[in-house]
Amino acid sequence: MIITDDRLEQLRAADFADETGWAPKPEGLCRGEICVPAPGVLRDDGTVDALAAAARLGMPALRDDRHAVTVVGPGSTTGHTLSTAAAPDPELIDHDGDPFRLSSLHGRKVLLVAWASY
Amino acid sequence: MEPAGLTVVTVALDVEPAHTRQWIDAAAPTHPSLVDTRHVTGELFGFINVPMAVWIDESGSIVRNAETASIERSPLQDMDIPDGLPERLTKIFIEVKKIPDDAAGYRAAIVDWVADGAESAFALSPQEVVERSRPRGASEAEAAACFELGQHLRLTVGDDAAISWWRRAHELDPDNWTYKRQAWTLVTTPEGATENDLLQGPNDVYAGNWLDDVIAAGGGAAYSTRPMLAGAAHPEGGCEHR
Repeated sequence: MIITDDRLEQLRAADFADETGWAPKPEGLCRGEICVPAPGVLRDDGTVDALAAAARLGMPALRDDRHAVTVVGPGSTTGHTLSTAAAPDPELIDHDGDPFRLSSLHGRKVLLVAWASY
Repeated sequence: MEPAGLTVVTVALDVEPAHTRQWIDAAAPTHPSLVDTRHVTGELFGFINVPMAVWIDESGSIVRNAETASIERSPLQDMDIPDGLPERLTKIFIEVKKIPDDAAGYRAAIVDWVADGAESAFALSPQEVVERSRPRGASEAEAAACFELGQHLRLTVGDDAAISWWRRAHELDPDNWTYKRQAWTLVTTPEGATENDLLQGPNDVYAGNWLDDVIAAGGGAAYSTRPMLAGAAHPEGGCEHR
């Protein structure tokens, strides 16, 4: 996830969850049934210490000083791309620009096919 | 398959939505047709090339992790290589024809899953799904971060701001073809990143190019993440993560 300097200290828990799939909760950073203890990551005001969260989850955090922006990469608690079989549910857009989530198809089987123009 | 309970969702991993338009317009999809300009689905689901797919059941659980997902044999497989092509294009044809064809088996597996659900031999347990998903170490994770940062800077600053970060992504995760193919296709035209160059030839910006990288990786036969179609009960299938 991309975090500009002006957003770093005000990052909301919901945004962190949406971007990474890991929801900051009082019990820790949670995805599906997995929760990684992360004391102090979720602040009382509902914001998240993103760099501390990244460290707890083994996510790389890189910074481009020139452009004052930090990126937090994916983590893994399993050594694999997937930490759980629960399908990630990021906000995506359809080809008309309208928002779409896979969870809107709950109750149906879904074949998610990746393609590209290249 | 829609009446049988299956919804196909296509997602284009393309930083330039305009490049997808002609394909989407031609297909006129009636299913959800998404454009992922940040390659976030690649990061989350493990798509490292296209076409790849995952299966998700009615409860929102992945029952097959990301793997190559052709359902029709490519006409290029059976096409004679025309005489008189430039040498480089001939070599591309040769490697493309080596790409394994699992289309018939993969299509049959989908049909089986739609009919039998969790009882299908091709529907994996949650543990199998996780264990079969692509290994992710520090290099792959950092590569994903580099690619994302490059994409962000390309969008907010300009084309050149992405290059150093995308080069680093290629170095860290050379088996991720979407990182490389995405970058190559944007730089190989004389005009720069204004067109979509599908040949992805040698360029002055990135170290690799499609043909030379495919050959270095073992040729077309090693280009895809083959589906392990023998199913959970018979894991002797051909899938491997490179």
